[in-house]
Amino acid sequence: MLGVGIVGLAVTALACGPAGETGADRVRETGFHGVVLETPVAKPDITLRTTDGRPFSLRERTEGALTLLFFGYTHCPDICPVHMANLSAVLDRFAHEVRSRIRVVFVTTDPERDTPDVLRAWLDNFDADFVGLTGTIAEVEVAQRAAGVPLAAVESNGTDSYTVAHASQIIAYSPDGFAYVAYPAGIRQVDWARDLPRLLEPQRFLAAAGAQP
Amino acid sequence: MIQWWCAAQTVAWSWRWTPYPGVWLFVLALVACYAAIRRRALANGADAQTLSRRLPCFAAGAVLLWIALDWPIGALGAGYLAWIHMVQFLLIAMAVPPLVLLGMPREAFPGRPSSVRGSAESSGVRSPSPTASAREEDPPRGSRATRFLDHPLFALLAFNAVVVATHLPVVTDTLMASQWGSFLVDILWLGAGLLYWWPVVGPTSPRPGFTPLLRMGYLFASMIFMTAPGAMITFSEFPVYGIYELAPRIGGFAALDDQRIAGLLMKVGGGAITWTAISIIFYRWQRDEKRIMDGELAAITGAGRSTAGTAAAGGAGVQ
Repeated sequence: MLGVGIVGLAVTALACGPAGETGADRVRETGFHGVVLETPVAKPDITLRTTDGRPFSLRERTEGALTLLFFGYTHCPDICPVHMANLSAVLDRFAHEVRSRIRVVFVTTDPERDTPDVLRAWLDNFDADFVGLTGTIAEVEVAQRAAGVPLAAVESNGTDSYTVAHASQIIAYSPDGFAYVAYPAGIRQVDWARDLPRLLEPQRFLAAAGAQP
Repeated sequence: MIQWWCAAQTVAWSWRWTPYPGVWLFVLALVACYAAIRRRALANGADAQTLSRRLPCFAAGAVLLWIALDWPIGALGAGYLAWIHMVQFLLIAMAVPPLVLLGMPREAFPGRPSSVRGSAESSGVRSPSPTASAREEDPPRGSRATRFLDHPLFALLAFNAVVVATHLPVVTDTLMASQWGSFLVDILWLGAGLLYWWPVVGPTSPRPGFTPLLRMGYLFASMIFMTAPGAMITFSEFPVYGIYELAPRIGGFAALDDQRIAGLLMKVGGGAITWTAISIIFYRWQRDEKRIMDGELAAITGAGRSTAGTAAAGGAGVQ
């Protein structure tokens, strides 16, 4: 729980960047197109259910893999489908050796509408290998707190439908179990294509920038 | 808040109709300009029937422009789908200008110097139908400004500079994000399109020496120029336009597929319009050449007959 808000706050703060430092500067320094976290964040120890109803321990099931964790929902009109589509498009380009070391984990922030079947069908539109996780609202909130992202909140528009405000960043946990970089909305395919292979061994690239844990 | 011009939005696409009053005013302004030009042509003694024959061309151009700029095509092209953006380009820069120019009353434009009179207008797209009035077949050359603007080399370079510049990712991403930027792109396309098509179908007579062959070469050269941005868009490994890549998806189009369709449209659609124009020029050129040859042949034959007749008569006389 100590990590509560760290990733969210770090992304918010660093998205704006330190005074005088531009995105291009950060990319030049670290080689990463995402937001490099000031303090690496450990992968949260959370357990939710997959779309086939089995328990899924994030740490255990993704150990040794580059894990891209995202909280969103299938009725999301903008950020979620764009993130998933772009990731899917880029992962398709990688050789099997690289692709097999990357896991995409999508946790729904709208478990009431995102039934396991709905969630699975939606993820299958992008990539059948994407992991979909769900749970009760309380369980998902615990997972968000553990991951350090702002809690999702339902925004009713006065009709039967509603939207869910949620964290827009994808947190990239490298194979060593730490997140060094987070990717807010607006990250493009070409950025993913350059960063994902580097995220498999981030220390090598962050050392030069003095961002190593 | 009502938007006055289509620009990229950060919200998901909705099929709910959205008004864009700026587009309506712009098209109305174009129609008002045309009405003023038509009045001027009538004041210059133009035949009302002849002008009416040109009206459908202008009307088609104005309607196409309105369709390209207004909801839904304008809105989709501004911020959601690159291929719709390309359809907009083809309509605004490649289809609307020739239609508008073909619909222009030629009599409304200033008279040309007498030394130019009667030159070059023998064939090509410019060439009116054989039944057109003599005034139409010998339209005014235009003022100093129009003589400069319809210089083919200038038009060719200006048009293609605009095409390349407005398809650069950084330019598109920057301009399409705001209404003024999107408006500027549309104006640039229309203006550059009018400039480009003016030497071929403009209301002033063609430049001396700008023969049908050169006109075909002019159009062909532009097609070659347009290959560069078309290829960049088609063969890029990743989506190059952030505005379309990061837009909420519509109709299941992946961002890269959307972009590739856009690139192909630029090549195929632009090529189709250009080749159609080249074909018309070629057809009319051949038709006019044949007409001239037939005329010469008839003259020779007629003269031969006349000579033979005279000889026969003379012979008869001698006899």
